[in-house]
Amino acid sequence: MRSIEARGLTKEFKVYQSRPGLKGAFRDLLNRQYRTIRAVDAIDLTIEQGEMVAYIGENGAGKSTTIKMLTGILQPTAGELKVNGFDPHREREKFVKTIGVVFGQRSQLWWDIAVQESFRLLKQVYQVPDADYKQRLDRMIEVLDIGGLLDQPVRKLSLGQRMRCELVAALIHQPKLLFLDEPTIGLDVLVKENIRRFLREINREFGTTVLLTTHDISDIEALCSRVVMLDQGKVIYDGGLQELRRNWAKGKKVHFELAREVDMSELEARTAGMPLRWERKGERQVVLHLEQPDLAVSDVLAQIVQHVHIVEMQIEEVSTEEIVRKIYQEGMTLA
Amino acid sequence: MFHLRLLVEYFKQYMKTRMSYRGDFLVQFISNFFHQGLNLVFILVVFQHTPSLKGWSQAEVIFIYGYFLIPWAIFSSFLNLWSFNDRYIIKGELDRVLTRPVHSLVQVIMETMAPESLIGVLTGGIVMGVAGWHLDLDWTWYDPLLFVVFTLGGVLIYAGIFIALTSISLYTDSKSDIQPIMFNISNYGRYPTNIYHKIIQFTLTWILPFAFVGFYPASYLLDHGEWKIYALLTPVVGAAYLAFGIFCWNRGIKHYRGAGN
Repeated sequence: MRSIEARGLTKEFKVYQSRPGLKGAFRDLLNRQYRTIRAVDAIDLTIEQGEMVAYIGENGAGKSTTIKMLTGILQPTAGELKVNGFDPHREREKFVKTIGVVFGQRSQLWWDIAVQESFRLLKQVYQVPDADYKQRLDRMIEVLDIGGLLDQPVRKLSLGQRMRCELVAALIHQPKLLFLDEPTIGLDVLVKENIRRFLREINREFGTTVLLTTHDISDIEALCSRVVMLDQGKVIYDGGLQELRRNWAKGKKVHFELAREVDMSELEARTAGMPLRWERKGERQVVLHLEQPDLAVSDVLAQIVQHVHIVEMQIEEVSTEEIVRKIYQEGMTLA
Repeated sequence: MFHLRLLVEYFKQYMKTRMSYRGDFLVQFISNFFHQGLNLVFILVVFQHTPSLKGWSQAEVIFIYGYFLIPWAIFSSFLNLWSFNDRYIIKGELDRVLTRPVHSLVQVIMETMAPESLIGVLTGGIVMGVAGWHLDLDWTWYDPLLFVVFTLGGVLIYAGIFIALTSISLYTDSKSDIQPIMFNISNYGRYPTNIYHKIIQFTLTWILPFAFVGFYPASYLLDHGEWKIYALLTPVVGAAYLAFGIFCWNRGIKHYRGAGN
């Protein structure tokens, strides 16, 4: 079964527009003007069971609105939507038993009571049988290393501790689909790594589908093979992370430190005809820009290594983050 | 059944929370106790100076007031919706509620309940008892039963009206001042309705039926037969208003726009 199937999914909001000044306020009182905003504009999205997908976009691109429709919080204005085989808003109570939700900025846990009490309450809410509950909880406590936190009230936990507990809270009923909204925001590297490992594990073991929204590109690199990118309510890219990099990372950069100063014209002459560009960084430092992704570094080296003595060399991949930034700056032309 | 078990679970957690702040709990308990005691004295003193009203003796007026306190106390223990707009709409906690497999209204009720308000039942009971002692009331075996049914009916009327009002928050996140106004109107229910103008009588019976949360049932218990039909209608009116409140709520949830991030 498919985890998510959306066709032409749309959400519009009516926004009340106020006119400027006191006179405007009077006119507003009598005759309000509304403007319709399309937060999500006819999105098609299909996610198979067991996929880990990153859902990214700038602030205001429509990410949260989509997530809220997918989780049953909001009713779509138009379009078809089936998540885990349910209509999320109409069959909300049955549907939400099959999903888990972690909203980074909002806690699922009760602020004043001990963590384990929150878990117990959620067990009741989701009607999890005792045996399953114990087995799942023990396992998660071990992997996420939260055994020592169970009897502490949530308000006393650090952010990293709380996030790990949130994950447990979202998975107590073993949902088939997990929504994560900024799960690693503000966490240190070790906790991030711990959480990512845990997510990979539950994905592998139980085939849990994960839909992740994040600003942290390293989350995507560590977890997701597929990226859905959103801009102004529309999907502008839906495909593999690798393809995204290949199409957008216009080649790598190679930093050289040479034994002696070499004329740029000499380097250029020796590599003439290749799709590359040389840049001088210092007396003996030069940077090689490979302008096409299929140009191998070794080909370039073969041309120059006999004539130029290289002391040190470092290959720099273009980071996904740079790619994403570039796409938002320049707009998507590929895809 | 599931909801009842859940309610008990939430109640236990609520008590644990309260008791985890030990000092606070003790202080609250004592201050609550004194507050209620003072309230009681105040009520009794004020009503000592109330003359009889249009055929109602002083003790009867006090009795009606005592009765009036009971549905209100139960209602405000379990439907503590006053801060709904702030907490659930503006702070966005309704988003979380909507991702859990229990009816949203039931969850809100369980999360906001304040069982300590139940002490008002005791106050009301004492006021009723003191007044009833002065009156020579004729209690039959089924009167206590009717008393319970009337009280529940009254709670449902409050619930229906205030749930409907709270549902307004689901359409707009601006604050409305209608709840305090409604609270004031509800106070009209604690006096015999035949002292009011016809229009007000009609309003309190059929539009904002606050006569059913105090006067009608209490008058029946006072052996005033004239309002017997109305008194017996209390549970029906309660069910109807609750249904209306839930209807408004469910519609509102469809309209809910979510909190901005």
